[in-house]
Amino acid sequence: MRDAYVIGAGQTAFGAFPDESYRSLFATAVDRALEGADGLEPRTVDEAVVGTLGVGGRQIGLSGPAVTEYAGLSVPTTRVENACAASGYAIRNAVQAVKSGMADVVLAGGFEVMSDVSADAAKYWLGVSGETEWERLTGTTFAGTYAQMASAYLDEYDATVDDLSRVAVKNHANGAQNPRAHLGFECSLEEASGGSVVADPLTLYHCCPTSDGAAAVLVASEDVAESYDAARIAGVGAASDRVGVFERDTYTSIPASAAAAEAAYEMSGLGPDDVDVAEVHDCFAIAELLAYEDLGFCERGEAPALLRAGDTDLDGALPVNVSGGLKSKGHPIGATGAGQVVELYKQLTGRAGDRQLADADVGLAHNVGGSGGAAVVTLLEAEP
Amino acid sequence: MSGPHGVVLGVGGYAPRFRLPAAAVEDALGAFHARGVESVAVPDADEDSLTMAAAAAERALAAAGTTVEAVEALFLAATTLPYEEEAAPARLASMLGVSETARTAQFGGSTAAGGEALNAALDADGVALVVAADAPRGATDEAVGQAAGAGAGALVVAPEAADADRVGEVTELASFTAAYPGTRFRERGSEETTGLGVTAYDRQAYRETVAGAVDALGGPGEPDAAALQAPDGDLPFRAGRAIGVNADAVSAGTVAADVGDAGAASVFLGLASALDDGSEETLLVPYGSGGVAHAFRIRADCRVPVRQTVGGDRTLGFAGAQRRRGAFDSGVPAGGGAYVSVPSYRRTLPQRHRLVAGRCEACGSLAFPPEGACAHCSARDGYEHVALSGTGTVEAVTTISQGGAPPEFVPQQARAGEYASAIVAFQGPDGGAASVPVQVVLADGDAPKIGDEVVAVKRVLYDQEGVRRYGVKVVPVDARRP
Repeated sequence: MRDAYVIGAGQTAFGAFPDESYRSLFATAVDRALEGADGLEPRTVDEAVVGTLGVGGRQIGLSGPAVTEYAGLSVPTTRVENACAASGYAIRNAVQAVKSGMADVVLAGGFEVMSDVSADAAKYWLGVSGETEWERLTGTTFAGTYAQMASAYLDEYDATVDDLSRVAVKNHANGAQNPRAHLGFECSLEEASGGSVVADPLTLYHCCPTSDGAAAVLVASEDVAESYDAARIAGVGAASDRVGVFERDTYTSIPASAAAAEAAYEMSGLGPDDVDVAEVHDCFAIAELLAYEDLGFCERGEAPALLRAGDTDLDGALPVNVSGGLKSKGHPIGATGAGQVVELYKQLTGRAGDRQLADADVGLAHNVGGSGGAAVVTLLEAEP
Repeated sequence: MSGPHGVVLGVGGYAPRFRLPAAAVEDALGAFHARGVESVAVPDADEDSLTMAAAAAERALAAAGTTVEAVEALFLAATTLPYEEEAAPARLASMLGVSETARTAQFGGSTAAGGEALNAALDADGVALVVAADAPRGATDEAVGQAAGAGAGALVVAPEAADADRVGEVTELASFTAAYPGTRFRERGSEETTGLGVTAYDRQAYRETVAGAVDALGGPGEPDAAALQAPDGDLPFRAGRAIGVNADAVSAGTVAADVGDAGAASVFLGLASALDDGSEETLLVPYGSGGVAHAFRIRADCRVPVRQTVGGDRTLGFAGAQRRRGAFDSGVPAGGGAYVSVPSYRRTLPQRHRLVAGRCEACGSLAFPPEGACAHCSARDGYEHVALSGTGTVEAVTTISQGGAPPEFVPQQARAGEYASAIVAFQGPDGGAASVPVQVVLADGDAPKIGDEVVAVKRVLYDQEGVRRYGVKVVPVDARRP
């Protein structure tokens, strides 16, 4: 099968935008992706795949065409729903379409508007991707579910609440350099560990915000890619698992992440040692620690040591969440996976501005749905 | 009527752990009108008459050594059930696992309902479970409201018993009815019981009706204990004097000073206390305003088995008690999104009420809930249904801070504050374990740790669309009352 490439990628700022609609946000992301691809004409796009959860109940049916038609892309559009992994999966679908030869240029992206409902109503929606019949009826939202995983991790390994806070400190430091970050401020270890408790042991600083935003990625065939600054999609892997944490054999790993990573590594011929930069799904601080281990960056139980040693800092051997991650950059559910690839594309094509890494050739994006019911890992490689 | 009418195989009692002292009410309001009441039991935010009924019934069955499969009739008495219309015994039977072909009936209308349920049980052919539960409410500044407590009592009754050494015999029973309007009543649609407060008239109604039933019984005899209806801690003693029973016997048969007015459960809690103290002859007189009284004489040559959890171990202030009762709870926020429909909830009642799991027909591992492909081997060969034991071990746990609850649980947090949520491994009947997500009932806010042992209890999950959902929660073993 032929290769697929990212030839352009763009996103809106992530944050709270009362003056924007889900359609206007998506159109902005499309415009920026097209601009990034040297002003590629919209009519060149063959089809679109759009990820969204539909928080708030807006346009749950036909949410794909609702945004692509608005953006001037009159192409076959499919909506992908896999909770927070929706647009990571949208990109995977785009790769499949290009590799199969059915399309030469596919726009894959996502959007979410989460700030225009009351805090109470938002909780109805944040819970919808948890296991609804059993897990939710114990009174948990996602913070509670990830907090349970954190409790098991802290119990099993040499890890502390401060290790969770180190994730927040690092990602906020990175996000402070990203003009499109939702929470672009720095925080101290003391602030993070001393924050108000949301679901013990997770404090407010260990939880990502709920954001508005959109992101779009142009996936194209080799013939098309030759004319653009392109990054090769070296591999993409995906996996599903039981939606409820209680239904899994382990609470200190997200097995779908490990399986998706294994598939992506196998497809690309690359391994964790080859990765130069990673955007991982840090919806809660514990999730980033689990990601290090599930993605093979370190052994089980070694994530806190990797973090403490500074290996995943911006100037470390393997910078993680240089964009700020979900924690600081923000988490507009349907846009998050595509937003990760936007960052990697910028880093691999030298467009990352102030936070540009020096030698980034291989980037990894890791996008998780819910508490691990779905996961997708995408490996990008810079063109020589 | 005299002669043996049946036997009592075991008695159970339950009252919430929280107490509101009379002194706290007096401090807050300047006066406390409920005579003889030193404290009242206050239900937790997720307790109601049905959950208390289940707790008392489980204890009665355990005391009697009767399996739930042996129960042929279930009679429930209460004046404060969550619904004015809807067959409450069906919910109770499901929580307990009583057979679908058991005869059920519900008694209410007055606090004498427990006596009517007991009469029905004594008339039944087989093993009957009689449960009385109540959590009356009244205006905070009226005697009825200030006396309002909570509790449940249950009796396992049968026509006869193989082991006569462990039972109480109902030797005589009688009833007396006298029309006394306006002593104590609750209007249709109201949550609050009230009365006209004509003190001499109210006392006469109570005294005359109770004495009438005891006369019809052939007199009080010489009971070790007299479990007389206790709307407060004073009236039973007044009635005792009127019928010729000494204060010690009355005292031995009432818990109203501690738990307050337990409505229909009042005399059953008194009976549990009396039998637990070894009473050999007990007079049982439930009374209901309006008015009616039923009298029973129960004789036991030795100890009748009793299991009860009644004493309080947590004290609430006035505001704290009002909070738990819902005074500051503005209900479920509007929204949308995640939703469990009533039919889909109903489909899982065996799991919610009794922790029924499944043993995979292919690999033998335990699955909860027992449906779909086996999480262990992915087979869809079906499951043999097995009930998990009621004790388990915490595998993962968090405390959900106030504000962090899904909207359905906001009223619970408004009333009781933080709760914990855990994944608990419950043991199967023949080895193995299944992991079940459960809420943890906290008494003080200290969540259990991973590895701690917990015990299943039945509580209210939440109300939605006007329909109450009940399910299993857990209490840490080391936080349980003795």
